[in-house]
Amino acid sequence: MANRVLVTLLGAGLLAAWLLPFATMSPNRLASGQTVGLSEALSAWQVIALLALSAVLAVAALRRPLPRELAHRAVLLASLGLLLITLYSLGDFAQRTLVEKSPSARVSQGAAFWVMVFCCALAAIDAFQRASSGWLLRLGYMLIAGGSVAMLFASGHFDDLSIMREYANIRDNFSDQLITHLVLVGSALGPALLLGVPLGLLAHRRVRLQGTLFSVLNFFQTIPSIALFALLVAPLSALGNAFPLLGEWGVKGIGAAPAIIALVMYALLPVVRNTYAGLKGVPPATVEAARGMGMTARQVLWRVEIPLALPVMLSGLRIVTVQAIGLTVVAALIGAGGLGAFIFQGLGQYAIDLVLLGAIPTIVLAVIADFTLQMLVVLSKPAGTRR
Amino acid sequence: MIELQGLTKRYGETRVVDDISLTVEQGEFCVLIGPSGCGKSTTLKMINRLIAHSEGKILVGGEDITSLPPERLRRRIGYAIQSIGLFPHWRVADNIATVPKLLKWPSSRIAERVEELLALFQLDDDGLQDKYPHQLSGGQAQRVGVARALAADPDVLLMDEPFGAVDPLTRDTLQAELARVHRQTGKTIVFVTHDMDEALRLASRVALLNAGQLVQYDRPAELLVAPANDFVRDFIGRADLGLKLLSRRRVEEYCRPAQRTRNNAIASAPITWQVDADDRPMALLGGRLGEPETARTVVNPEWTATPEMSMKEALSRMVWFRVTALPVLDVEGRLLGEVTMSGVMGHRP
Repeated sequence: MANRVLVTLLGAGLLAAWLLPFATMSPNRLASGQTVGLSEALSAWQVIALLALSAVLAVAALRRPLPRELAHRAVLLASLGLLLITLYSLGDFAQRTLVEKSPSARVSQGAAFWVMVFCCALAAIDAFQRASSGWLLRLGYMLIAGGSVAMLFASGHFDDLSIMREYANIRDNFSDQLITHLVLVGSALGPALLLGVPLGLLAHRRVRLQGTLFSVLNFFQTIPSIALFALLVAPLSALGNAFPLLGEWGVKGIGAAPAIIALVMYALLPVVRNTYAGLKGVPPATVEAARGMGMTARQVLWRVEIPLALPVMLSGLRIVTVQAIGLTVVAALIGAGGLGAFIFQGLGQYAIDLVLLGAIPTIVLAVIADFTLQMLVVLSKPAGTRR
Repeated sequence: MIELQGLTKRYGETRVVDDISLTVEQGEFCVLIGPSGCGKSTTLKMINRLIAHSEGKILVGGEDITSLPPERLRRRIGYAIQSIGLFPHWRVADNIATVPKLLKWPSSRIAERVEELLALFQLDDDGLQDKYPHQLSGGQAQRVGVARALAADPDVLLMDEPFGAVDPLTRDTLQAELARVHRQTGKTIVFVTHDMDEALRLASRVALLNAGQLVQYDRPAELLVAPANDFVRDFIGRADLGLKLLSRRRVEEYCRPAQRTRNNAIASAPITWQVDADDRPMALLGGRLGEPETARTVVNPEWTATPEMSMKEALSRMVWFRVTALPVLDVEGRLLGEVTMSGVMGHRP
């Protein structure tokens, strides 16, 4: 049977490449421009490479000619190759066309580009999930794909693209906001772990507290994020005004303080729940054996319960980290800064490139965090049971 | 070695363990047995304070167990449960070394002790000590569990249905091994089970519990021939009492000299063994049910006995192969003597 997911993705990608514009050219940053098709934008070898890799995908999708595992590997490599070719071609097109144009002229990515990138990424992820490769090989694929894209950026290949020109304008501010974003995420995760892990332990040890604890945390989780940020503004500014010392420490209605508090509140439920679930998953006989051997309560916790609960606890951290990276974008609305600042600024000015400069790095951060923690989850499992 | 005095455990109004007093002597193999919920596991776990007792006193080696911290007490008492009690994230060697590590033994002494125990339980195959519990067979995991309990060389070993989760064949091997280890080490063992055959096989004393009370505490044979009341009688199942008694007897107790001949001439005795030059039995002359007394039956290795075999098994072989006698062989296969049907009948079990 054919791989339906891959057939659909390949069909959608090819259809988009044929019908939709690959890039747009405009005289300046804000004006709308004229569209350029794939056949015009790409040089001959790029088109051939694109078609050849698509053919590999088509063969792998039918699966009859290739054994299953080999097909997954082929799809993974071909879709990553397609992704790189698509990115490279766009940068290459911008370099070639802008040579004789005015400095304010812009080349940006068109609809076909987005659909192709999207389809390639999904095909790669799908093959990644299906292939039964070990974690070391997975890490290798990720590093090669990520490394090639990073090298293209570093070599200045994309510098003529509109989005990179936008980036050049805000370069210093960008790194400041990126750091702010990471600091916000980090300062929310720290307290969330310091509070959440002991609370999860408490929920496991004191059965009566569970109900209350989980309903309070569930309640936080149901408040929409913008509402929670807004709700915190009033009490925090009152606090800051009432106690000037607190105000000096940064406790104010807007800025980092309400953002971090809200992020911690959202992060608590997954941390507590996964800590609780992890500890509950430790076989009672194992704990009884540990006590029967003469371990103290503390030794049972650190030598037996925590190591065995760690994979589930880290899964909680993974959920929370990805969630916090996304929620921090919204925190820009109450003046906390971070990559969300570009998104809202761009939306206000109708400057799509600026929006993308906020959005794309956020996605990349989330993907990296997700992948890294997934690796940690695998490594934290007892040796011999890993996969 | 272990003394329970008026031991009681209450949960609210219910007395799960009710005023139990008994003494387990040094080197004794004491089996606690009874129907589910009779309090046998609770009694065991009170000895190492995994469960706190409500009333009464427990002395281990003459010392009241409440006189020292529970962790110190437990490190002095071996504890083995079903194989799921192994630590899944530690290798076999680390699992066995649990208590020595808690006692902060030097690492060279720990390594030595682990080697010793692996050898004692025939676990010293290549690389087995570096495996993780989920890579072991049920029987291996269970051996590791018992080895771990013995690691710090405790005088007392508590075992809570340790062979409950393994198949009958493996259980048989493990029981034989435990009996051997008990003979070799002379540990005092308290063992919980609900399997009467297991109890009769291993115990030097059986404590039969019902509804939290001690019904009878006696040697296995006494329990069989002199049950204290109807409950004991029902629990041990008197229907195959004779076989249960025989299961505790060994062939060597019933073995008597055999009549031999080098040729197939019928001797004066009703049963004669034809042997070869090395004294190995070739054939049985006579002694075959339903055949004339002169019949010659070639000895089949499946209907021979060894001195260590239980009489129950020997009798079973006689019945199955329809012979009235089995040759008893030594390790070399030479004829030591014979056990006969009439010998079984003429001997008070």
